[in-house]
Amino acid sequence: MEVEPFLFNIVVLSLFVNIAMSLYGVFVRPSLIKKIISLTIFSDTINTLVIVVGFRHAIPNPIPPVVIEIPPPPQYLRQFVLQAVDPLPQALVLTAIVIGLAVLLFLMFTTLQIYRIYGTTDVRKISRLRG
Amino acid sequence: MMLHYILMALSALLSISVVYLAIVERDLIKAAIFSAVQSALYAFLYYLLMAPDIFLTYIPVGVGLYTALILILIKKTERYEGE
Repeated sequence: MEVEPFLFNIVVLSLFVNIAMSLYGVFVRPSLIKKIISLTIFSDTINTLVIVVGFRHAIPNPIPPVVIEIPPPPQYLRQFVLQAVDPLPQALVLTAIVIGLAVLLFLMFTTLQIYRIYGTTDVRKISRLRG
Repeated sequence: MMLHYILMALSALLSISVVYLAIVERDLIKAAIFSAVQSALYAFLYYLLMAPDIFLTYIPVGVGLYTALILILIKKTERYEGE
C-alpha cells in the first residue's frame, strides 16, 4: 500500500479545487476588491502548481537544491543529483511573485480611480452607467 | 519522511476551506484576512516542497504586502460587498 503518492495526489487535487473556486470569485462576484483578492489566490495557486511540477520523491528524502561543499567531490555530486529537487521552477516562481505584486498595485490604483470617478466598486452598477 | 507528506496534505486541505471562506465572505476585511491565512498555508507548503527561497520571499510578500495593500484599498473605498 503506497501511502505517500496518495497524500501527494490529495495536494494536487486540492490545488485544482482552489483554482476552480478562485475562478468563480473572479468571474461571478460583483465587487472589484473581491475580484482582486480572488486573482491573488489564483496566481498563488498557479505558482504552487509550478513548484509541485519540480518536486520529486527521492529515497531517503529530497533535499533543497543547494550545494554545500565547494568544490564538490564526485560522490557528493552524484548523491546531490539523485536527491535534489528541480531548481528551475523555483527561479521562475520567484520572478512571478514580484510581477504579481506589480500587477496587484496596478489593479489597486485602477479600482481606486474607478471609485473616485463613479462612487462605487460594484461592476453591476458600473455597467449600468451611461457616459 | 511520511510526516512531510501528511503535513503537506493537511495544509492543502486546510487551504481549501480558507479559500472557500475568503471567496464567500461579504465583509471584505475578513476576506483579506482569510487570504492572508491562505498565503501562510501556501508558504508552509513551499517549505515542505523543498523551496526555502520561495518560502523566505513569500512570507513578507504574500502575508504582509498583499494584505496591507488590500486593506489600504478597502479603507479608501467601501467595506461591504454588494450593497
